[in-house]
Parts: sequence; structure tokens; C-alpha cells
Amino acid sequence: MAEKRYAMVIDMRRCIGCHACTVACKAEMAVPLNVNATWLKIVEKGKYPDARKFFLPRLCNNCEDAICARNCPTKATYKRDDGIVMVDMHRCIGCKYCIASCPYDVRYINPLKNIVQKCYFCHHRVDAGLAPACVETCPTRAMIFGDKNDHTSEISQILATNATNVIKREMQTNPQVFYISADEAAMSSVQKRISYHTGEHYIKLRF
Amino acid sequence: MEHGDVNVVYSVQFELPLIMYIAQYFFFTGLSAGSFVISVIATMLGRKEFKPIGKITAILAPVLLIIAPLNLIADLEQPLRFWHLFLFYNWTSPITYGSFLLTAYPVMGIFYAAMVYTNRNTAAKVLGLMGIPLAISVHGYTGFILALAKARALWNTAAMPTIFLVSAMVSGIGLVIIIAAIRWKWFDRKSSPEQKEKDRKLILQLGQFMAYVLLLDLFLIMSDILVLLTAHEDAYEVGMLILTGNFAPLFVGVELILGAFIPLILIFGPRLRNSLTAVVVASILANIGVYAMRYVMVIGGQTVPLS
Repeated sequence: MAEKRYAMVIDMRRCIGCHACTVACKAEMAVPLNVNATWLKIVEKGKYPDARKFFLPRLCNNCEDAICARNCPTKATYKRDDGIVMVDMHRCIGCKYCIASCPYDVRYINPLKNIVQKCYFCHHRVDAGLAPACVETCPTRAMIFGDKNDHTSEISQILATNATNVIKREMQTNPQVFYISADEAAMSSVQKRISYHTGEHYIKLRF
Repeated sequence: MEHGDVNVVYSVQFELPLIMYIAQYFFFTGLSAGSFVISVIATMLGRKEFKPIGKITAILAPVLLIIAPLNLIADLEQPLRFWHLFLFYNWTSPITYGSFLLTAYPVMGIFYAAMVYTNRNTAAKVLGLMGIPLAISVHGYTGFILALAKARALWNTAAMPTIFLVSAMVSGIGLVIIIAAIRWKWFDRKSSPEQKEKDRKLILQLGQFMAYVLLLDLFLIMSDILVLLTAHEDAYEVGMLILTGNFAPLFVGVELILGAFIPLILIFGPRLRNSLTAVVVASILANIGVYAMRYVMVIGGQTVPLS
């Protein structure tokens, strides 16, 4: 059998924007305050009564051709054989070049350990045969995780029979987090006529 | 606009991974590479009147390049682990080229300076010629650091390494002019009046040289901006950010007007052509402009959120 290749599908038709994935990730990976390995992008569109919120759970895409792994000067960022992109916390010097190179804004500096960290698809749980914390927690089963190369797995069946999309395909990174029915404005980073209101950690972009 | 008159509110993460230290580092390596190239040109031409300039720049280049990497180490989250760069190198990362170039280049520079100061001309010429590719790559690779971090539209252009090299020449020549003028004015009491006049002419000539390099720099910036504005969406957005957005005062005001157009007028202006003060002021302004360019590139490039 071919070697394992872990991937995730997030079905936006099921996502209710409850932030449970963010909270589960924080608890499981001991992510400090003000930084997130998994977070929820929220887009509010329209005027009452024609208004709606759109969500996009964001986490490391664990790209097949990861720019961060290519650009890391110390090989602290590396790919496991099953496709998970790891950061060796003893090797990382905190040059932040990976954060600057990553098109998905999913890496962060751990303010307690002073190194770069990110989502590792909960490799410790996966190695023990469990699903990542966010997948386990998701109350609507919007997140599905599994081995893409195993044709009997749920994820490969979903990938084969659904219209999926990835964020920033043009970056040639081959992301391994796939979205079903995600909103265009939530997927895109480009917004015209922006005014910046920089807060502590968040920016609000307003048309 | 695709949503008509609707209101769209976003919540996205935002952080600036690379800060002032990096811009400062780019500025110092640029100064160093620029002054090294000037020094080697002076040595190669071998004319007697170029000697003082060759000597000043020979000492400036390694000194500046010993200061520059300190900025890099200060920027690390784990400064004491900087040696990982040499032990666990990764040849696909431009930072790895940099860590070796930044070690080799000052060593070469120190040997070269020793040859220049002991008047061993042939050895100085050979070492200088060998050092030029090193000087170019030590600054050229900084352009690649930005260009290969492909998430940022402002950085990910083929023009980036060349723009960095050319603006490094501008700031390097500018610094040489400033220091040569200080020496001419206050520290050079032994030379005869004729010699002093010759030195003054030489500084004026350097000013002209700087202006031509500045013109080349302006052309490169123009082509970069033009392509940014007509390329994909992210590139357009970041192009507008520096042309009309939050970074416009720094980019248009300081980098272009104060750092390029005013120095060009000061150097090429018909009444000012023979004025040493004008050339020195132009050099100071050009250096401020190049510093602003580094800031706009490093900080401005990261200002547009990626999600």
C-alpha cells in the first residue's frame, strides 16, 4: 500500500461558526494567549434583512510543497513521511522567515517558548490512532480527517465525490486542507478599498 | 464591486514577523557592499588621487558588515541558537547562503583592507577582484530573501535583488561622499592647495556617479511598480498601498521625492554643479531615501494581511 498522506476536508455547508475547533486546539496544544494555531475567519456580508455570516476555519494546510520547509534555514521545519509539516522546537532559532513566507498566515511565535509553532494535525493523537482535537470536537462533523491515499477512507471518498477547493492554489504549495462550498470573500485575502484599524491582534477590514 | 452597496466585515489575524532590525540589516549590508565596490574601483584604476577614497572605503566595508549581522541575531527569538545556522544548514533557504556569505565576506574585506593600507597594490587588486562577486552576492542574497518569501506580493518579484543591489550602490557612494567630505574639510591639513582642489573635484565626480546610479534605481523602481499595478490582485493591492495608502508618505515622500528627486536636482542643477555642500546634502538625502526604501519594503510588504 502507498504511504500515508494525511489531509482534511472542511465542509462549509455544515460549519456553524461555533469556534469549538479553536478552543479544542488551544486546550490540546496548550496554545498561549493572543496566538492561535486554528482560528475562524468570519466574514459578514450584506444588510439586514439580506445579511449572513460566512466562516472559514483556518489551520496549517500542511502543504505538500511547503514554502516554510523550503525556506527554513536550519531544517527545523520538516515534512514527516505522512505529509505532516513539523517544527522541531529544539532546532528552531526563531528567525520568523517561515512566518514571512507562509501565504496562509497560520504560523505564530509562541510567546512563552520563543519559537515558531503551528498546527501539526495533532500528530501525537494521529500516531495513537485518534483524530485531531478539532475534528473530534466539531459538533456538526464539518471537519473530516484521514489518509488521502487509503481509498476506503471517508476522506478519500468525500474528496472524490465533492467539489472541493483550497486556499491560494496559485502559490504552488499543494495544500492538504480542502474546503467544500467556502465563500469567495472568506477564501480570498484581497480586499479592495481597505481601511486599517489595527487593534492588538486583529484588523477589521471594512468596505 | 461584486457585492454592490453591502457592508463586509472581516476578522483576520495579523502580525508582523520581521521588524525594524531586518530593514536596518539590509541598509548596513547595502552600505558595506556599495563602499567595497567603490574601493575596488578606486584600487583598480590605480590613479594616485583615488588613493584616499580607496582607503576610507576599504575600512568601511568590513566594519559595516560586522555591525550588520548583529541586527540579525538581535532579531532572532532565540539569539543564542544562531549557530544552528551553520550546523543545520538547508541549501534551499536563502538565509543559509547568507550565513556563509556573511562570514566569508568580512574576512575577505579585512585582508583586502590590510593590502590597501600596506600599499601592496597587486595583492590588493587580486583580492579586490575576488571580493567583488562576494560583495555583490552578500547584498544580492538579501534581495533573494525577500523575493523567495513568496507569500508577500511586494517582495516576490524578479526585480527585487537588482533593486537592492542598485540602491546599495547609491547608499554606499553616498556614505563615501559624506566621509570624504568630512576628511577634506576638517582632517586634511597636510595637502597642498592644488591637491585639495583635486580632491574636491573627485568628490564632485563621485556625486555625479551617485546621481547616475540613482537614475538607474529610479528606473528599476518604476518598472517594479508598473508591473505590480498590472499583475494579480495581491500585487495591485500592495502597489496601491505604497503609492496612495498608508506607506505613501514614506515611499513617495521620503524615498522618491526626498531621497531621489531632490538629490538629482542638487547634483545636476546648473547653479549647484560646483558646490560641495550640495553634493554632501544630496548624499545624506539619498541615504535617508534608501533607508526609507528598506523600511517600506520590509514593513510595508508585510502590512497587507494574508487571510
